[in-house]
Amino acid sequence: MKFSAFCTGVLIFVTLAANSRAETLVVNSYGGPYERIIRERIITPFEAAFGIDVVYDAVGSAAQDYAKIKATNGRPGFDVVVMTASQSLEGCREGLLMALSPKNVPNLAHLSPAMASVAGPCGAVHEVQYLSLLYRKDKLADPPNSWAALADERLKGKIILPTFQNTMAAYLMEILSVANGGDLLDNVEPGFEAMAALAKQSIGFEQSSSIMETYIKDGQVWAMPFWNGRAQLLVDSGLPVDYVLPKEGSIPLMATLNVPKKAENRQAAMKFVNFFLEKASQESWVTGYKVGSARTDIDVPPDIRAKQITTEADLNALHLPDLAGVAARLSAWGERWERDVVAAAN
Amino acid sequence: MAVIAFSTLQSPARRVLSVKTFLPLLAPSIVLTLFFAVPMGMMIGISFQSLDGGAPTLASYSRFVKDGLVLAGLGRTVVMSGLVAVCVTVLAYPLAYYLARSTSRWRTVVLALAIAPELAGVVLRTYGWLIILDDRGFINSALMWVGVIFEPLPLSKNLFGVVVGLTHVILPFGVLSLLTSLQGISPNLERSAQILGASRLAVIRHIVLPLSVPGIISSLLVGFTMAASAYATPALLGGAGFKVMATMVYEQVLFYLDWPFAAVMANVLLILMVGVAFIGSRLESRLNQKLHL
Repeated sequence: MKFSAFCTGVLIFVTLAANSRAETLVVNSYGGPYERIIRERIITPFEAAFGIDVVYDAVGSAAQDYAKIKATNGRPGFDVVVMTASQSLEGCREGLLMALSPKNVPNLAHLSPAMASVAGPCGAVHEVQYLSLLYRKDKLADPPNSWAALADERLKGKIILPTFQNTMAAYLMEILSVANGGDLLDNVEPGFEAMAALAKQSIGFEQSSSIMETYIKDGQVWAMPFWNGRAQLLVDSGLPVDYVLPKEGSIPLMATLNVPKKAENRQAAMKFVNFFLEKASQESWVTGYKVGSARTDIDVPPDIRAKQITTEADLNALHLPDLAGVAARLSAWGERWERDVVAAAN
Repeated sequence: MAVIAFSTLQSPARRVLSVKTFLPLLAPSIVLTLFFAVPMGMMIGISFQSLDGGAPTLASYSRFVKDGLVLAGLGRTVVMSGLVAVCVTVLAYPLAYYLARSTSRWRTVVLALAIAPELAGVVLRTYGWLIILDDRGFINSALMWVGVIFEPLPLSKNLFGVVVGLTHVILPFGVLSLLTSLQGISPNLERSAQILGASRLAVIRHIVLPLSVPGIISSLLVGFTMAASAYATPALLGGAGFKVMATMVYEQVLFYLDWPFAAVMANVLLILMVGVAFIGSRLESRLNQKLHL
């Protein structure tokens, strides 16, 4: 009896010791449907392939995660973080993120060079969305195909706009600037004029995308700008909504994988980033979360291809932003937004 | 340190007394130094940083005094905090007076109800107010349903909504501040006045109210400082057009990534609150001296 208890003890100790030696990786990203899909499509296959345990941390938005990286000088307690290309550039400039290259992440070589250059040397673009025009199918007989539809008299009091602190606002202003004869950075006068006109027809401004979507869900709003990934989730939920990439074009939102400079498990982090950029992983992610990819060699079903950015032609149809230029002008644009756009709504 | 050095000039007995007196302050002093003074020092340091990593600069301070939108936000913060402080004190006073004087068995229940809002988080309570005050909320829906109004009343996304929400959040603190003060006033004074023929109203006006002024100041101070530093309620109930210092600091940190400017705004907010607290405490101590003469 004593001997068998001793053997059981030894067995438990050996098992625990073996487990404690297993490599772990802390991945910080989003909760909700995103977490379910990333666990199923990426994390579980990664753990099986590399024998690395992933601890998933769904706390914080990308902006909050970046603030945490900055406040801890590159040692935030997670090894991989999902942010956007804007934060990748800023983090790289401040020396808070590791530089990624085909040497340590071989699959970076398969990304569209144009997309990769927008995100800079510290961000691995693993997902591409675009600013779409989301609308209620049951309220609008003719599907809109232009951003000008938002200014239609029939939509007065039936649209909602993001506040300037939601990235969608600056991007929409830039798109309208190009559509009205201006450009993306230096001549944005037409963009602000168009936004002021839209503000007069809007029922208001909301910062949170999740609050914005409640307005279209309950039918108070019939059309609004929205990231197409979230728009697709609404379509899939069975709501009478659909979305389009308007004929004037759009600006992409590039989600990036980043590794903080002083992350504890940098080697495992590189493996994870590379795994996420594998062709099979990208196909799985694009079909699972229904978003676009910066890899143009992926094979996805036609219905996904029709709505998402998956080819070189799709990428060429987008206005690629100069994010460093946007960051430098953000404060001035923010002041102007309050003065011209918000004031026009009141 | 200065106190200990000074105490070395005293007799050994006095020295022991001084050390014994200040020993209990050691732990709180360490905690405050580590978690308040050091971060505050760092924030002051950040406010002089240059965004491009250059030499220390006053650029963010210069921008602050020239930026009309930020100054408007500061003004909005002062007005909002002042209104909340007054509303909290006016609403808390009768409740605190009842709690100080009542011997009813319901007293404990009323006290529990007064403090109960603190059991729910600020965000939860603020969302509760959003459901009530929103354009599609309970009040507007009910009034439109009975045909009293045809357009929603502007109850949220403005100063009114924020003041209502913050008053609810801060009210328990106002009650506790006033309760301490009112409990310190001897009920015999009120009885004596009534025996000498004073009406109930005259007792409140000429005895209770003047004697409780330190408590009123304390409640106003608590209300003002808590409202000025509140983030969640102004962010949720204020909407895009109602920005105060706390929400503007948040935007600078997370969206504009301009930490030096955020630090300047936070420092100004701190100076504002310290200034108000200083004036209030001076006033309170003067009144206390007058009352005890």
